[in-house]
Amino acid sequence: MTDYFEVHERDGAARVGELRLESPVATPALVDDVLEDAGSLWSADRELPEGDESTLTVLPHRSFPGGTAAEVQDSFAVDHPDVEYPSVAVVSSETATDHGSDAYAVSDVQSIRGHGAALVEAVVSVRETIPADTALLFSGVATPRNVALLAYAGVDLFDETAAVVKGTEGRYLTTDEAYFLEDLEELPCSCSACQQPREEFTREDCAEHNRNALEAELGIVRRRIRDGRLRDYVEGQARHDQWLTAAMRELDSQWGYLEERTPILRDAQINAATEDTLRRVEIQRYADRVTTRYRNRFKNPLVLVPCSATKPYSESQSHRQFHDVIQWRAHLVSMTSPIGVVPQELETTYPAQHYDTVVTGRWSEDEKEFVAEVLQRYLERNEYPKIVAHVPDEGYRDIVGRVEDALDLEITYTVPAGGHPTDDESLANLGSALSGELKYSKREREHNTVRAIADYLLGDGAGDDLFEDIQTTSRYPKIQVRDGEETQLATMVPQYGTLSFTLEGARRWVDSDAPTKRVEIDGFVPHGSVLAPGVVDADEDIRVGDEVVVEGPNAFAVGRAEMFGREMHESTRGVACEVRHVEEK
Amino acid sequence: MPLVASLQTKALYALDRFPLPMSKPTPEVYEQGKGMDAHNQVMREIRSRKEASYDPHEPTRVWLDEDNTPTGVKNSLTIILNTGGCRWARAGGCTMCGYVAESVDGGSVSHEALMNQIDVCLEHESENADEPAELIKIYTSGSFLDEREVDAESRRAIAETFADRERIVLESLPDFVDREKIGDFTQYGIDTDIAIGLETATDRVRHDCVNKYFDFADFEDACAEAATADAEAGDDADAGIKAYLLMKPPFLTESEAVEDMIASIERCADVDGCHTVSMNPCNVQRYTMVDELYFNDGYRPPWLWSVAHVLEETADIDAIVVSDPVGHGSDRGPHNCQECDDLVQKAIKDFGLRQDPTVFEQVSCECELTWETVMERERSFNQPLTR
Repeated sequence: MTDYFEVHERDGAARVGELRLESPVATPALVDDVLEDAGSLWSADRELPEGDESTLTVLPHRSFPGGTAAEVQDSFAVDHPDVEYPSVAVVSSETATDHGSDAYAVSDVQSIRGHGAALVEAVVSVRETIPADTALLFSGVATPRNVALLAYAGVDLFDETAAVVKGTEGRYLTTDEAYFLEDLEELPCSCSACQQPREEFTREDCAEHNRNALEAELGIVRRRIRDGRLRDYVEGQARHDQWLTAAMRELDSQWGYLEERTPILRDAQINAATEDTLRRVEIQRYADRVTTRYRNRFKNPLVLVPCSATKPYSESQSHRQFHDVIQWRAHLVSMTSPIGVVPQELETTYPAQHYDTVVTGRWSEDEKEFVAEVLQRYLERNEYPKIVAHVPDEGYRDIVGRVEDALDLEITYTVPAGGHPTDDESLANLGSALSGELKYSKREREHNTVRAIADYLLGDGAGDDLFEDIQTTSRYPKIQVRDGEETQLATMVPQYGTLSFTLEGARRWVDSDAPTKRVEIDGFVPHGSVLAPGVVDADEDIRVGDEVVVEGPNAFAVGRAEMFGREMHESTRGVACEVRHVEEK
Repeated sequence: MPLVASLQTKALYALDRFPLPMSKPTPEVYEQGKGMDAHNQVMREIRSRKEASYDPHEPTRVWLDEDNTPTGVKNSLTIILNTGGCRWARAGGCTMCGYVAESVDGGSVSHEALMNQIDVCLEHESENADEPAELIKIYTSGSFLDEREVDAESRRAIAETFADRERIVLESLPDFVDREKIGDFTQYGIDTDIAIGLETATDRVRHDCVNKYFDFADFEDACAEAATADAEAGDDADAGIKAYLLMKPPFLTESEAVEDMIASIERCADVDGCHTVSMNPCNVQRYTMVDELYFNDGYRPPWLWSVAHVLEETADIDAIVVSDPVGHGSDRGPHNCQECDDLVQKAIKDFGLRQDPTVFEQVSCECELTWETVMERERSFNQPLTR
């Protein structure tokens, strides 16, 4: 049972939580002031402390530092008593188990500090073992420079110990460095400890500054998590120490861990400013779904075009010009780094209209390789009667050429060498490439759009399973999906390019062959929020932001997930999903 | 645990020359509890990685030095006998002890070979010292009084060999200490001290962190035997116990280690028959569990400030308390910040000879602040806080 910790906001593996003590603490945070250590069983037998709700009590422990052999860890393992107050169990990264406490401290933290792969392995294995709604404590490692990455990896609780120790050693810590105090002619900070003449600044002051800098950085981290923008920050911040960048990249390789925790939609923009953006879950997931779930339903030729800075693309100057020529006679797919390829139906779907990239016209080999691979997989899955590449030189032409060769395709290029897609000549070429092609109807376009979104959100073939006979009303991008009797089934959500179902739509979803994301609840009728304790079971493939069917003995409802599936049934606190429509049974 | 600090100094750098028994636990090996099984299993595996060979007719090591004894500072001849090695180490043994090399395949060294070793030592002494040392110290990396290591014939012959010396120190586990064996030496009028690697007075720490099997009560029994031997020897000779303590075994934090030492010194001094305590800061020896932890950033040897602090805190107790930190200033030995290691080491050694706590007033360094912070903030779930 986790009574004293609750997760309020999630951003990938990072969370803003609340230590529900007498005076609540917003996490990620320093917990020096509230942590009470009942002591080590290596040095003495310990009484189980009385504990109370104003502190977080570390239960008596036998910590295993890095290098402790497995046999020793097994034979000296301690039982953790069930207690009625906020408690921490000490575990090692190798032998962590669920002890029913509110938080877990990792005993071998010093061995994983400074090693990207070791850190990630430790955090992932502990996090995957302890319940999702418990807090993870790293004592003695946090610095202003590393704490953002540690929180990003999934650590919730820290202490000032390492920052203070470094201060006493004459190391002046900032978010970018660990300066030797003696080398600093001026103090590069304006915190209260630094408000004094340089020559009077002691190592005690240095420790105080380090603590201030760590607190300030944690404030930024919490803000970033609430905004859903911690990853963008970490991509920059981690650059200040090699092992932190290594850890970020190692974490990107932990697809299962990160993907499960990454929401399928956000209000926030993705800053595509580094090579590492390509490896973000959001980017990789979009590429994966577009090439394994989505299917083109148009019979028309394909026109590949470059992306635009304005999102969604169709509202940009350049795409308007393309559209004036194409006139619904072709299926439009935009090529872009870092997203890959964006079919016109998914141009609003997160993160296709939620990223901003650095535009220089210079493509890196990684970018080209990534987009080429996505395009190739896309074209292996989707056949077209004709392919037109209306792309400029730069990287685009190179990428299309690679895929053309790889798949032995015949592609018509409509932008002359050195030309631009919006040049008159290019547009004229595009027009003649499509001459004689027939337009598809608005109906076909709208039907295919909602089907494509269903494919993307629910799974391969879901669009056909769910929306075989429908009619659509209202204007793109707020398309409403109705059945033959005009009953509304779903609405397209233009901000994220998703669907929100009505009860009728949810019923159709449940009855269809499309994979359902189902949350099973107790015998109550939810209004507003479904809290985690009320969840009996939840599908493991539910992600934050997913549309979910909520069903129990007394209710049938549809809503949006606020936790990932496993978290819903593991958690004892917090909002599992928000219900939009409900019906008593 | 090898008892003598300076012995370890050499061991620190020369261990690889020595063989390690590929030992299996024997029925006579005292094993208790699954924690001990685990420690032994792991230590056997670690030790088995070591390969070397040796000559049973040569002592493991021999050197000359000076030592503080109850009757003043004496010139000493220290002998590490090769007796087939520590039986406990064959079963696995102590978590910090890499000094189990002096063993022979098959397990025992003959009387003749042992006496050859003594001859080599006497030769070393006559070549390097102006006159015979007043104090003889014999260690075996096991128990000199265990007759499976040194049989009664050899023991008596060695007693006779050193009959003209003032004082002798013999290493032994407490189990093997008895009044008759001590009497073999006191009968010649030699003051006889039995050096016991107690490590700590806290049974829990000795068992779980050091993996040493006996209890403090066994040490008290051995002290009682020595006290009886002392009484039986009358005015001709004294007999007593010198307790060897280990500062900071694995798994303890800096402050726990310091508390454990202060309490241990106080308890040892209270035991009748125990007149000297030698506190040895743990150093990282090859082929040990401590080395595995150290290699994985899970162990740091104690601060020299901790050693100084314990000596200061226990300066007024009724026993000689000495410490000769081995490998001081190196990452693998007790150390502070590098800047002050030699100075603090010197103060610690001075204290050993003079028992005067004011020697520590002479030394200070900026790193004391870090040490104080570590003492206050290190927990076993964040240790080691510094390197």
